[in-house]
Amino acid sequence: MSATTSCLTTNRSASLFSTLMADEAKSIARGLQKRDPALLDRLIEQYQYRLFRYLVYITGNKERAEDFFQETWIRVLERGHQYDGKSKFEAWLFAIARHLVIDWQRSKKAQSLDTLTDPEQEHPLQFANENEPSPLHQVLSRESEESVQTSLTRIPAIYREVLVLRFQEELQIEEMAGVLSVPLSTVKSRLYRGLEALRGAMQGGVA
Amino acid sequence: MNQETHARARQLITQERVEGISQADHDWLSAHLQECVDCADHARHTEHALRSLRTMAIPLPHGLASRTQFRVQLRLQEMREREPKRRALWVACVISWAFGIVSAPYVWRLFQWFGERTGAPKLVWELGFGLWWTIPALFFVVVVFMEKMRQSSESDWMRQSK
Repeated sequence: MSATTSCLTTNRSASLFSTLMADEAKSIARGLQKRDPALLDRLIEQYQYRLFRYLVYITGNKERAEDFFQETWIRVLERGHQYDGKSKFEAWLFAIARHLVIDWQRSKKAQSLDTLTDPEQEHPLQFANENEPSPLHQVLSRESEESVQTSLTRIPAIYREVLVLRFQEELQIEEMAGVLSVPLSTVKSRLYRGLEALRGAMQGGVA
Repeated sequence: MNQETHARARQLITQERVEGISQADHDWLSAHLQECVDCADHARHTEHALRSLRTMAIPLPHGLASRTQFRVQLRLQEMREREPKRRALWVACVISWAFGIVSAPYVWRLFQWFGERTGAPKLVWELGFGLWWTIPALFFVVVVFMEKMRQSSESDWMRQSK
């Protein structure tokens, strides 16, 4: 009896939570349509850590991540009317940030982030000098010497990205597919490989 | 236990974290992990890696939010200043269209009269009228084209993924 009651309460809480989230997304969409400055200020504060962390992982460079961070919010202001509140705001935000990085990569090397970073396509992202600590490593090491931080630097960016989206941002696989503009099967395959790579790297192996 | 059993266990350990597994697989995995030290170690390492990933922190640059808010507010101001100009351009387009439609019969007669006066062939003054009438349309096309160019940086990815 008590188990049934507990299950019902959990379901009701989950439903209430998802309704609240949907209301929040709709309210953000309305605010962005009107280019509400107070809303933008609040969103920048609210999402600063998550967006910056994501950008550090995909760019591997703190200074560059900071530039992209600002540029992402400018895009949110300019294109806010395109967000309709039917999906999570953070998924839309990460998609904007990701594509700014890809555009920059393309303009720099005329290749997409995927081809630059996807080991399956034999174009792994290389840091400037492999004998020196990478910018990402420097950013991470300053904070702590935890082995996961070092391990992450050994993982190709394309896997780092999915690990961050799934296990730090806790996005659903469908939402990740939207952010990455790839099929669900690709997201899953990257997650499997990423997780293996992380575990391998943390155990001291080569990812 | 053979290699396939261990491989299945390891596959399920990862699958559980990535997309979840069925209750039957979960029960099978739990039973296997109680018997197999290597696979239990594998599961523990996976859990440890994910826990570390979840709790890892990256330092935020000082004043990042306030600098960004300042830039966004400046851009917003710029956009608001530009808004009346864009609106005026669209109004001009609409007026130009309306004027073209309303004045078409009079202009036709004017071209006809001019053609008769100068003795120009009918085709010439009709072409002249056609050209005159396409000017507002061309103007409209130019405005639309400029708007598209302005949004050219906006790719499909900017549109919300459904």
